[in-house]
Formats: sequence, structure tokens, C-alpha cells
Amino acid sequence: MNAAEVTKLMSELKVAVKPRHRRLKNPGGSEGRLINLSKTVTALLKYERIEVHYSRGDEARGYAERLISDAIRYGDQHKPTMEMADFWLRDKSVIHKLFKVLCPRFENYKGSATRMFMAPRSYNLDNKDVLKKYKLLSVLELNGNPYPPVLPDRSQKNRRLIHNVLLNEARKEFYLQKQKSESDKDVNEEIVTKHPVENINETETK
Amino acid sequence: MNRFLCEISAVLRNFESILFGRYPFPPGSLGLIVHSPSETTTTPQPFSIKDFIGDGFLWAVPKHRRSIEVRMKRKYGSPQYKMKTLYENKKLQICDTCGNYYESGILCGFCYDKVRKETTLIKEKIMKKLHLKPIDSDVVVLYEGEKGEHADEFWEGKRIVEMEKPRPQWFSKNLLQKTTQPNATTKEVKPEELG
Ligand SMILES: [Zn+2]
Repeated sequence: MNAAEVTKLMSELKVAVKPRHRRLKNPGGSEGRLINLSKTVTALLKYERIEVHYSRGDEARGYAERLISDAIRYGDQHKPTMEMADFWLRDKSVIHKLFKVLCPRFENYKGSATRMFMAPRSYNLDNKDVLKKYKLLSVLELNGNPYPPVLPDRSQKNRRLIHNVLLNEARKEFYLQKQKSESDKDVNEEIVTKHPVENINETETK
Repeated sequence: MNRFLCEISAVLRNFESILFGRYPFPPGSLGLIVHSPSETTTTPQPFSIKDFIGDGFLWAVPKHRRSIEVRMKRKYGSPQYKMKTLYENKKLQICDTCGNYYESGILCGFCYDKVRKETTLIKEKIMKKLHLKPIDSDVVVLYEGEKGEHADEFWEGKRIVEMEKPRPQWFSKNLLQKTTQPNATTKEVKPEELG
């Protein structure tokens, strides 16, 4: 079987999924681990933006991507896809959302369905549980959500920031000096070309 | 008389050392009053290791000396793996929008805090509106005075969630708007035709 046929067997994801499982501690063993992951996947599809610890979010992201791409590929008449959706989505109203809302949204979407950011650690230092564990938090979201964008609009840089003002002034000064030195050099060269003999005489007398 | 006092004090010091060991209390801290003559003092038992080996036990003790390198590594960590001492953070950057410092690769704390608060507000509103109904259409979030911008037919079939406050300045609305506005339908008018 060549590579072209293999790609037809399963849907191609637009995010890189790590081949190894993450180390998620769970008292329920591997079964409890899957239950926890399915809770995360359900919450992601339901709320469209959640905050989880990085490793758990990273693994749940792959499952969510796979679920959405399978739903787009096979539709809701396909039995294995429906079983998968039933397993991964614990809130059954979200199955409805998967086929009615998310499939049309991501059908002709450029790029992946989910997006992930590293959340700053210090913002909830008042939360003692987080402080105790000090794990890396992350923000996991579906694209096309109704919330305000996580990344600020960087198309227009703030020119009034003190750093930018100082840098601009420094840049101006540098160019002025450069121009000045160049014009001085030109004047010197002109003198040299006009009176070459006199200059030589001067150096000799010195 | 003086010599006699000196002798008595020497005897007392000797007695103290028998009772409290080689290093007695500092002078003046504890006075010892002797009632009986010195004949009643018990003679000390000779020390032998059998006293505490026979019916006692010893805890485990380190067998070998820990080298200085290992001690230092345990104290300060090693640069090869993990330093336990304080060190400078070389990843700090300045945010373009707010001017605060943030670690590169991680969201800016100041900017993200705003977004998080607004997100939780919207999330609560959506969940209150949705309750247990099945989700079958996308949510449109509208702020104060934005519903009147379009006719009622425009909003038909959309799940609208209205926030009872004006739109924040940093949350731009252009996701709803078209990027290219239609050309204005105006005609050129010559100055003679005016009036
Ligand atoms: Zn910022």
C-alpha cells in the first residue's frame, strides 16, 4: 500500500499531533484518564474557549481535531463516527452542535479548527491550587468563536510608547550624523582634488 | 581562711562536674546547696560500651563521607541540569499594545487579563440563555445599541446574546462587518444645475 492510499484511510489533521501520550496522573488509571480527556473535549466544543493545564489540553486538542474532521468527512449517518462522538462528548447536546454548527463552520476553513496559547502564570496567583502546582496553563479555543481575540491587534504598533519614541529619536539622530559626516567627507575630498600640491607640502613641512 | 575557701570551692566544682558532665553551668547561674557532708557522694560507674549495646539499638548512620562536589550540587544545583540559585530571565519582552513586560512565547498578562474577564462574562450570558436547549446555530454577541444597526430580518435564525454595556474599545467589531464597503451611489452634479 503506498502513501497516497494511506492518506485516504483517515482524515488529515492540520495540527501536528505528538505520537506519544502525555503523562497525565489519574487515580482511575488509563480509563479515568480517558474520562478526564473526554471531559476536556466536551468542554472545548461546548464553551469554545477553556483554560487547562498544558499537557492535558495538548492531548485533548488532537482528539477534538480528529472528531471534527471525521464529522466533516463522514457526516452524521456514519455509524463509527457517531459512536466516537458519543464516547468523546459526554454532554449529548454537544453532539448536535458538532454536526449542525461546527461542521459547516470548518468545512471550508483554512487552517486548523483549534488554537492553543500559553497562558501567563502570574495572573491568578491568588488561586492557591494553581500556585501549589505551578504547572503551565494554556488557553485552548475553537476558531471562529464569539469571544474577543486572545492575541491583541498588532497591525498598528503603538508609536507613543516611550521605547518607540526614544528609538525613533535615536534613529533620527543617527541618520543626521551620518549625513553630516558624509557631507564633510565630500568637502574634504574636494579640497584634496583642488589643491593636491599644497597638501603634500604641508605634510612634508610637518 | 582564704586558702580554706578556695579548697572548698574546688571540691564543689569537682562535685558539679560529676553530676553535670565536664562543662558545668556558667558561674552564678545555678547555685548548688550542699546539706550533707561529702561522704554521701556516690562513686561514678566506670564507662563501658556494654551499657547501651546490650538492650538499646542504633539508628542507621552515614557510612561514607559525602564529597564536597556532591554537597555543592545538592545545595546549589548544577548548570548542566537545573540551577537552584536565582538567575536572570532572558526571555522578557515588551508588549506592543500595553507596554508591560511578558515572557516570550507566553501571552501578555495585562492584555490577557482583560480578555479573560470579558470572556467569562460572555460565557455566563451564553450559558444562561442556552440553558439545556440543543445548540443548533452560531452565537452572535451584541453590545449596547448594536441590534438597531440592522433590520429584524437580518437577525433571523441567529442566536443573539446581548450584553448590557457598551462595546469595549479593544474588542473590534469587524468580524461582523464586511471588509469592503459598497461604493457610494452618488452622481456628479454640475454647478449650473445646483439651486
Ligand atoms: Zn500587553
